[in-house]
Amino acid sequence: MGESMEKQEWGFKENHELHAAAAFTIRHILQAIIENIDEPQTGKSVIHLGHGDPSAFPLFRTPTVVEDALIASIRSAHFNCYPPGVGIAPARSAVAKYLSRDLPNKLTTDDVFLTAGANHAIEIILTVLARPGANILFPRPNYPIYEARARFSPLEVRHYDLIPDKGWEVDLDGVKALANDKTVAIVLINPGNPCGNVFTFEHMKKIAETARQLGILVIADEVYAHQVFGEKPFIPMGVFGDIAPVVTLGSLSKRWVVPGWRFGWIAITDPIGILQQTGIVDSLTSCLAITADPPTVIQGAVPSIIENTSDSFFSNINKLLKEAADILYEGLKEIPLVACPHKPEGSMFAMVKLNIPGFDDVVDDTDFCMKLAKEESLIVFPGDAAGLKNWVRVSFAAEPEVLKDAIRRMKAFCLRHAKHY
Amino acid sequence: METPTNMTIKGILGILMASIDEDKKRRLISLGMGDPTAFSCFTTTDIAQDAVVQTLQSRKFNGYSPTVGLPQTRKAISEYLSTSLPYKLSSDDVYITAGCTQAIEVAISILARPNANILVPKPGFPIYELCAAFRNVEIRHFNLLPDRGWEVDLDSVDALIDHNTVGIVIINPGNPCGNVYSYQHLKKIAETAKRHKILIVADEVYGHLAFGDNPFVPMGVFGSMVPVLTLGSLSKRWIVPGWRLGWFVTSDPKGIFKNTKNIERLKKYFDICGGPATFIQAAVPCILENTEEVFFTRTLGILKQSSDLCFKKIKEIPCLTCPQKPQGAMSVMVKLNVSLLKDISDDVEFCFKLAKEESVILLPGLTVGLKNWVRITFAAEPSSLEEALDRVKSFSERHSHQQKVHIELS
Repeated sequence: MGESMEKQEWGFKENHELHAAAAFTIRHILQAIIENIDEPQTGKSVIHLGHGDPSAFPLFRTPTVVEDALIASIRSAHFNCYPPGVGIAPARSAVAKYLSRDLPNKLTTDDVFLTAGANHAIEIILTVLARPGANILFPRPNYPIYEARARFSPLEVRHYDLIPDKGWEVDLDGVKALANDKTVAIVLINPGNPCGNVFTFEHMKKIAETARQLGILVIADEVYAHQVFGEKPFIPMGVFGDIAPVVTLGSLSKRWVVPGWRFGWIAITDPIGILQQTGIVDSLTSCLAITADPPTVIQGAVPSIIENTSDSFFSNINKLLKEAADILYEGLKEIPLVACPHKPEGSMFAMVKLNIPGFDDVVDDTDFCMKLAKEESLIVFPGDAAGLKNWVRVSFAAEPEVLKDAIRRMKAFCLRHAKHY
Repeated sequence: METPTNMTIKGILGILMASIDEDKKRRLISLGMGDPTAFSCFTTTDIAQDAVVQTLQSRKFNGYSPTVGLPQTRKAISEYLSTSLPYKLSSDDVYITAGCTQAIEVAISILARPNANILVPKPGFPIYELCAAFRNVEIRHFNLLPDRGWEVDLDSVDALIDHNTVGIVIINPGNPCGNVYSYQHLKKIAETAKRHKILIVADEVYGHLAFGDNPFVPMGVFGSMVPVLTLGSLSKRWIVPGWRLGWFVTSDPKGIFKNTKNIERLKKYFDICGGPATFIQAAVPCILENTEEVFFTRTLGILKQSSDLCFKKIKEIPCLTCPQKPQGAMSVMVKLNVSLLKDISDDVEFCFKLAKEESVILLPGLTVGLKNWVRITFAAEPSSLEEALDRVKSFSERHSHQQKVHIELS
């Protein structure tokens, strides 16, 4: 009783790095926005277009054959054991074969490392590349987890631009200007989050050649692989693996609509073996030993999941996404003070520019999101957290009626808050 | 034979497995890892399996969970742990992790700061060393005393602590030693930590797996005296290490550690990590509530039986000495007397040759911090355990200086 509890006497103190690092994660921001919602007051159900998780919508349900594979894995009781940190061989092999379908250089089992979702893959790759003095190139705008993770490491982050007027292509001159001999890698997200863009073959080849010139590796975030519905096909960066080494991040989460299962991978396309020689592969293995794993029961089901999911499921999802992207894009055209410069052609997101000066009392993108949540129970994600202030990221992975409702609410909001002359 | 110092248990075991002579007709028996699922006598309860199938089939848990874990899961675990504590934990005290391994990683990361050091037991669990290396936290080893039931050498602890020490790790029930600390000893540890103003990381992954004289007492019982970070999981008690469902819990009723800043940091750290599957989290309340006592009793019965058998068989092997009969957890530390062996110079060589010649895997003690000791996991089918130890016996006879067969005097 009556013990003094001054913090400074205890042998643990804040880790300031950690505090700064995770200040702007998606969950943190969405939480703040969600807390602003006043459902009783608006009388409206919440529409959450802040994250890429359509699993709650019946139309987006993962096929029964996938759930059955997992149930069989659980009931077999063969997969209750610890998995190796890199993952069990049959699952690694199944992922290697799956990815190899689209690659000229086939991946082997040893090229694939299993992770607890793609966020974990990001955690691992940034951890193993980090060393004091090194820098890494990130896109602007970016998927915020990269920023948070990099801040919690010695890596210096440098941002290259994606150019909105050129379909969000990479500013390659900018990349060359930013890189120096301490640059370790460039991160590319294709199909793009947050922009919803898809790179062309030619553009990707140029990026690979630039990476080769600069002597850096390419981290290809392909979480939205194959989720394309515009004119451009999906091309994995690994296709250019003989030009520059490519580390591909992927998962089941988006294509199979099971983000809660936490199953992802790191796949290495490195025919010359640079990553092996520089010890990166060993570091990956060590890091995987101490961090999360995807449950063995899920790993056990993966071969069956990959083999038995029909193409029609995937094309149906892409069809839904295309329809949704159309609804969003056309709908945004009718809304004053917002503009979507590039119609989304992949992933589940669109970047939308706000005309802040045209608003009466909305000062920036965060303010826009907070007020929109409060007044309309509609959640979208502030672009500042993705690197573009006064833009917002809107997910269109929702059922048509929900999206149309969202458009109506946003329009009402913008009309209400527009400056009246 | 060189063993890399940053080797994990799985890593060493992998190398040992690779040296197994596949031509030998004998089946492989591994007593190397704390994973009893390889033996059919150790299976999880149907309750657990059904619960997970149900949450999966509900289709309500295919989406992201909050990064700190589903609220119902946190609540269920807080209630489960609170039954053994003199105070109630709240759901906010509980963070869901992908197994206890991730809980360890979180603990080290959250305590890390420039120049920090953390005390870990020797022998211990190498994941602590690996995590600390990644986070630039200095590791200081305190001794466990084999002649005192592997109790903590509190004098060595006193000598190691300085103003940069952030915590002390206590593994109870013990891995690798199989000890279960008494209430009195845990209290002394808590008093030492309090005196030095460091918190305790209580690794209770083997919680409740105590089958000897001492009951399992959670370190959180002393949470009012000193803040305790309790780490645990479903893996051992429910025999499902592959499900990757663990927890990191602040057993800190006075709120010394869990001030606003630390909680914020913790939540934000979870935002950037990989995590446990949502549907498995969702099954936890049902698993905790409905698992029958008879399942736990049965597991303890098998563990007691096999630990007794292990202890008895070790006595028959002259070059191996077991200073403390296991009281809990799943493994035991056994001292190797290399002077009795003619062509084996240390524990690593012993284990490699044993693997090659007898297709039996034991873990070299070097991996867990004690050279010339060996860790034997007794959580195995009794018949497999017996056969494995018979092979170890004939192996050691073959490699002993004296060719005479040991005759047991009764």
